[in-house]
Amino acid sequence: MGRIILQLTALVLLAASALARPVALDVSVTDAHGAAIADAVITAAPQSVSRESEAISQRVPRTHVIDQRNETFIPYVEVFRPGDSVIFRNSDRTRHHAYSFSSARQFDFVLGSGEDSPPMVLDKIGTIAVGCNIHDKMITFFYITDAPWFARSEKSGKVQLDLPAGTYAIRAWHPLLPPGAREDVRIVSIAADSPKEVAFSLQLMPDPRASMDRERVGY
Amino acid sequence: MTRSRAHARRKSPARGLARARWRVASRMAALCLLALPAVVLAEDVSVHASADLRLVGGSAESSWTEGGFGKSRFGDGNAGAPFANAALSVHWQVTPAWSLATDVRYQSRLGSALSVTEAFARYRPVSTDAWRWSLKLGEFFPPISLENDGIGWTSLWTLTPSAINSWVGEELRTFGAEARVEHRGDGDTLSAGVALFGANDPAGEILASRGWSLSDLVAGIGSRLREPDAYATRIGVAPPRRYDPFLEIDHRVGIYADAEWQSAQFGRLRVLYYDNRADPSTYHPFGTDELFSWRTRFVSAGAQTQIDRLELVAQAMDGSTQIAPPGFASETHFSAAYVLASWNLGAWRPALRVDAFSTRKTPDFPPRMAEHGTAVTLALNWRPVDWLRLTGEALRIDSTRDQRVDASLAPHQTDTQIQLNARFLY
Repeated sequence: MGRIILQLTALVLLAASALARPVALDVSVTDAHGAAIADAVITAAPQSVSRESEAISQRVPRTHVIDQRNETFIPYVEVFRPGDSVIFRNSDRTRHHAYSFSSARQFDFVLGSGEDSPPMVLDKIGTIAVGCNIHDKMITFFYITDAPWFARSEKSGKVQLDLPAGTYAIRAWHPLLPPGAREDVRIVSIAADSPKEVAFSLQLMPDPRASMDRERVGY
Repeated sequence: MTRSRAHARRKSPARGLARARWRVASRMAALCLLALPAVVLAEDVSVHASADLRLVGGSAESSWTEGGFGKSRFGDGNAGAPFANAALSVHWQVTPAWSLATDVRYQSRLGSALSVTEAFARYRPVSTDAWRWSLKLGEFFPPISLENDGIGWTSLWTLTPSAINSWVGEELRTFGAEARVEHRGDGDTLSAGVALFGANDPAGEILASRGWSLSDLVAGIGSRLREPDAYATRIGVAPPRRYDPFLEIDHRVGIYADAEWQSAQFGRLRVLYYDNRADPSTYHPFGTDELFSWRTRFVSAGAQTQIDRLELVAQAMDGSTQIAPPGFASETHFSAAYVLASWNLGAWRPALRVDAFSTRKTPDFPPRMAEHGTAVTLALNWRPVDWLRLTGEALRIDSTRDQRVDASLAPHQTDTQIQLNARFLY
């Protein structure tokens, strides 16, 4: 009898762990012509708070390092959770600014060659464009989100989020979305052992980085 | 023409003055080059350079650069490999807000091989709100061209800039101060500027005496522009007649004002009003000759947009230039426009541009100085590697100018110029 109870308990635990096991949500992001889009931010916000989402929300804040190299901010897009910090690092031989006049946050650091800025906490959700007052073409975007799950697309335009079963609002954001563009939100139900796919098609503005090369110096 | 009357009042110190200016220009250029190794080592200095290796099949007509009426840079049917152009662009960020910039060009057929085409200081403090202002002091281009964004003020799409920007390169330079304010919104920026300047009193002379041209020569401090030999003869001056386009004659301050709307989504629009406020009754001894103050006013507008891989650029200009020394007065109206389409295919970038231009002089006497014409430029650019741009360009200019009869030519001419260029970029 005791053995049967033991076996039943093991079965229940197995079933519970299967239920709790994250399920893959494959997201693809393309432009109007079907070409893959890099640097899109995909977020998944649960419709109701779960044990997992709570755990993530209480995670220790991270410090992100944004590099300035070859007169380029690296990366072009960085995702933060409220409470995370940022440090700017100048890896060039020339002086740079890291400044923003975004409504979400205003700041200005002047960084000599090899210098790091002091850590700066980003506590409000929103987007922040960061530039260099010396090199106008340098730009990076911060996306600060309280969604527990998020990822940034690589060149393949693909992102995988591992989500516990539940219902989620899936959003896609990109710095080249036109101002005031309607947000594309997909409500997706994730069931155990049933991977899902979501495809976003974004209409982006022309990428100013595409026309930048060593020949163009700006007059 | 009555200029010969003014010409009779030749003054000998003029030649000395011209020499002194040339000495200043060559010393400035030499200083820039000598200082280069020092500043290259310094932090906060960026150096860009380009050099062209070119094969040219010139137009049949003699080029204006050789005293003819030909509108292209290379003429007389010459084929060869002339040294076309080299440029050095140095930018020094002295403090987070102050910077110094200079451009030096090495090119043929503008009097001096070496010239300083820009040299200015800019003060632009950082702003953490939507507004940002800046101040520029020195020698710089007025914000007209939407083509010339490459090292040494070269076009990114063709070898030869449009008629409008060829003239900007030849005769327009701001020696003065420009104040600018920008409002940076979500996805767009509005910018407005106003400049006060001197030393641009001859601006407009070349449009009156020669008309429009399409050439990639850019005048700087030390450069001399050549007028058609037949024109020089007509006004009683022994050719070649060359002049400095950047002279201060009347000690009056010129002004331009501009506004630009730049949208990440739609592209940009730019308008500019220019008035050098020259006193058209004044003139200045220059060599064995005299230079008039040309009162030049114009409106310039430009637009640029991108539709997928297709980039469209258009500019238009309309204005007039006048002189009124004792005894006569003349006014030349000028207008030009172009549309350029470029396909950005990554390493390959074909471009097509169509120009239209005209001048109209009042009063005008036979053989009339008025002209009208069109130009078609077809260019294919290839960037096999980051530091090299290979360009093939065909330029065909169709123009009618009665003044050509002074050189025993038919008023209507078609200039076709072919160029192959390797531009090395640093």
